[in-house]
Amino acid sequence: MPQVLSAKEQGLFRTVVRNYEDKQYKKGIKAADQILKKNPKHGDTLAMKALIMNSQGKTDEAFALAKVALQCDMKSHVCWHVYGLLYRAVKNFEEAIKAYKFALRLEPDSQQIQRDLALLQVQMRDYQGYLNSRRAMLTARPSARQSWTALAVAHHLNGNLSEAEGVLTSYEETLKNPPSKTDFENSEAVMYKNSLIAEQGDFQKALDHLESAGKHTLDRLAYYELRATYLTKLGRTEEATKAYRALIDRNSEYKMYYDGLIEAMGISEDKAAKKQLFDEYAEKYPRCDAARRLPLDFLEGDEFKEAADQYINRMLDKGVPSTFANLKHLYSSSFKKDTLPALVQQYIDSGKSEANDEPKRSGDTSKGASAAFYFLAQHYNYYRSRDLDKAMEFVEKAIELEPNSVDFHMTQARIWKHYGNSQKASEIMEKARTLDTRDRHINTKAAKYQLRDNEGDAALKTMGLFTRAETVGGPLADLHDMQCVWYLTEDGESYARQGKIGLALKRFTSIYNIFDVWQEDQFDFHSFSLRKGQIRAYIDMMRWEDQLREHTFYSRAALSAVDVYLKLHDKPLSNGTNGNSDANGDDAAERKKAAKKARKEAQKAEREAIAKKNEPNKATKEVEADPKKKDDDPDGAKLAATTEPMNDAMKFLTPLLQFSPKSIDVQTAGFEVYMRRKKYVLALKCLLAAAALDKEHSKVHQQIVRFKVAIDSEFESSESKISPKTKEVITSEFNLLPASTSLTKFNDDYLASHKDCARRTLSALSVRKLISPDAAPTCEKDVAAVLKLSAITVEEAQEALTLLRSWNSSEVDAFKSSAAQKWPKATIFE
Amino acid sequence: MDIRLLKPSDIPHVQHANITNLPENYFMKYYLYHALSWPQLSYVAVDVSRPKKSPYDYPRIVGYVLAKMEEDPPDGVQHGHITSLSVMRTHRRLGIAEKLMRQSQRAMVETFNAQYVSLHVRVSNNAALRLYRDTLGFKNEKIEAKYYADGEDAYSMKLDLGFIREQIVDEEDEDEGEPVGSLGKEGGDTEVNGGDAGPKKRKVRVGRGLGVGDLVERDESHKA
Repeated sequence: MPQVLSAKEQGLFRTVVRNYEDKQYKKGIKAADQILKKNPKHGDTLAMKALIMNSQGKTDEAFALAKVALQCDMKSHVCWHVYGLLYRAVKNFEEAIKAYKFALRLEPDSQQIQRDLALLQVQMRDYQGYLNSRRAMLTARPSARQSWTALAVAHHLNGNLSEAEGVLTSYEETLKNPPSKTDFENSEAVMYKNSLIAEQGDFQKALDHLESAGKHTLDRLAYYELRATYLTKLGRTEEATKAYRALIDRNSEYKMYYDGLIEAMGISEDKAAKKQLFDEYAEKYPRCDAARRLPLDFLEGDEFKEAADQYINRMLDKGVPSTFANLKHLYSSSFKKDTLPALVQQYIDSGKSEANDEPKRSGDTSKGASAAFYFLAQHYNYYRSRDLDKAMEFVEKAIELEPNSVDFHMTQARIWKHYGNSQKASEIMEKARTLDTRDRHINTKAAKYQLRDNEGDAALKTMGLFTRAETVGGPLADLHDMQCVWYLTEDGESYARQGKIGLALKRFTSIYNIFDVWQEDQFDFHSFSLRKGQIRAYIDMMRWEDQLREHTFYSRAALSAVDVYLKLHDKPLSNGTNGNSDANGDDAAERKKAAKKARKEAQKAEREAIAKKNEPNKATKEVEADPKKKDDDPDGAKLAATTEPMNDAMKFLTPLLQFSPKSIDVQTAGFEVYMRRKKYVLALKCLLAAAALDKEHSKVHQQIVRFKVAIDSEFESSESKISPKTKEVITSEFNLLPASTSLTKFNDDYLASHKDCARRTLSALSVRKLISPDAAPTCEKDVAAVLKLSAITVEEAQEALTLLRSWNSSEVDAFKSSAAQKWPKATIFE
Repeated sequence: MDIRLLKPSDIPHVQHANITNLPENYFMKYYLYHALSWPQLSYVAVDVSRPKKSPYDYPRIVGYVLAKMEEDPPDGVQHGHITSLSVMRTHRRLGIAEKLMRQSQRAMVETFNAQYVSLHVRVSNNAALRLYRDTLGFKNEKIEAKYYADGEDAYSMKLDLGFIREQIVDEEDEDEGEPVGSLGKEGGDTEVNGGDAGPKKRKVRVGRGLGVGDLVERDESHKA
């Protein structure tokens, strides 16, 4: 039976709760201990003590004590609630939900428990559960608008739009007086309701509602935008035209408004009318860029030439550095690709640019001739119009006119990068940095180029010029704190190139963790947004968070991590976790040894840290401040010491396959992992998905053949663990090879139809080597011969070299010297 | 370059633009806090012409303004505040910063009845000063010594938004659905009216009392 407290102790218990809420943890513990002295088995007090200890960072002890509390008093909702809160704190949301539900069963009227449960349910996307919770909460507090709005949100998220709308209407009907025009919460609730009506597709109703209830909404932009959209959907073109014109007058730099206007006016196919429209706005808004630039998208021939000439003159006269960036999308048309540089050349030849002599800002692009040279340098550096020697020539001309231009040097560095000379590129970018040391943008670029050149220490030093000096742990810690995704990704990739597997995995894991934090970040907004009343923005956030890991920031790092794990599986490390990866020959025993060593080192470090902490007067401040921050594997040694790299890779791969299934890189990576895990059905699923995206892709071709070879040998093997059922599934689903064609012919056909493409040729040649090992010597010669392809790029040549190296081919040296001859400025073949 | 409202899905790239361009950085939750508290106030400049590299390509942000309403204004006057504004070096001289600011300022008045907008700027940042003072009409309030983490002083600047309120009243007098306002029309040349002759004040419930305290974090981090 649970112990009963005396009146005095009950008062003391309330003090404990208050102490906890006020974050007076030491006082709280003291008061709790006072109660426990007389009532050592009082469950609620034990639970509260556990909760406070958890807040003090003693998670393990807190859990142990909370369990004791439950043993003392299984029927206490406080004990269960606390148990849930502890699970919540360690982010074990499933267990937390279970505990809350127990607590709620014991105390069905507790608002606090119900609320905590609801928040977890929506975080976990248990919409049905959330709906039930919100219904209960509305019954308990029907007078608050928030309760109604929250129930509507629950219906909405659960996919029931009309119910959601109905709930909002029910609340409105309870209002005796109409809310004031300036009641922000009401204004937003009306707009939320409007979005629900529109989402159901009834645009007439949405428009009527907007023009009545929403007429005076405080969110004016939303009012104008939605009105324009609805009018268009309803075919009320004249009013829609007016509405879009009003929007352009608010903001003349938004393409969507022009598109809407053109559609409403019914002039989508009428180029002359469109041009006239844009001209009208260009005249009305002298500083508007969109009205001048957008016609270049649809104009052709002489009309294009004339408009482009005007645009270019204007931009070069002003010295707008993004002139090329604003136009390069037009290069998909070869006419435009040829016309634009010719116009710029004309501009230079006309000599009119010299009239410009306005003073300019330090380091900025200057006007006139140098801006024109700068444009041409970017033109010849662009992949669709690349001629690096010419690019270099023009950028040097530009620099001659403006020796201190940061922008010009930045482009020069980019040209070196494309030459395949990362060292020179980094050097020039560093020079650009010194031309404006107060600008973080150029500082960022300099650090990035240093990372590309594998100068990690220098890069961190560069970054350190702008990170917060007082952050404990230096620049790297600050970059982690500030979630600097680009740096961590580039740093990881740089380590991967250098074979420093541990550090590479460490960085990619940091990105993984940042995404965990970003997912966790939404938690507080489940309640916050209801209090603030900004429901539409909240729904937007929920939709985005649902797809969070489809972001390229995630997929890039995750793919790199998977790649490292694949290499680790194929060629386990022999000499330390961050050493040179070139060493050959290794086995599981050595890997285990490495793992053991890493574990021992980590344990030693832990012991030392504890010893240090226990030394009086010597404990370092930061350890005391935040014991959780201590990293027991700063160099990723433990990560690299894994004995199951393919299992570890799944951590990164699973979200990739879930959120980016239409990425061919993701599907081909999935194939590689599943093949190594001998999960043939899953591998086939990836392969089929990849082939559906691009069957001719170089990786896909290779994987089709490899899959066939692998399953054939698996099916024949007497030790095969594949069940007859699986075999049947694979045989019936694997339809990527024509039935009557031999693998050799399939591969030869592929090679023949892609003989001008270096990457696909390499793919076919590695397949040939796989299916006919006797042909190896000729394969190697053929790989070397890709250098003769006219369209081959430096990157492709590098891939060819990597392939030859992986074969330990005798062609490597010869290949390197011919490649170096072909690209004399590149360093990657040295 | 599109100028449009900031959406939650823009945030990773806004954060990227911020940490690329400026020394004052924030973690994602602080951006979310802005986007979910005052979704009408923050704007981005987006490179939309860039062809998509994959179906999951998010648009690249080349400039942004991150703005808020002061939660508990010490002077009791509703006003906006610019938390952060930057434009990629590669996209300067297109007037992007100014256009972002004008959109945000207008929304501050329309949605939250802001009387003025305030911001901080490094005393050495001449380009920004030119924009705020000469182009947008901000006035210097005071110098805040050692405001930035590296010890540099800040100008604390203010712009009275009375001129936008007047504009809105003028427009309301005109026919409904007609063009509203002249945002960014003349930009650099406009004489900004700093007078107090605004119309009668409206009462708007924002922030205060709605319990946002625990979410305000890393605010003004550079001061720490």
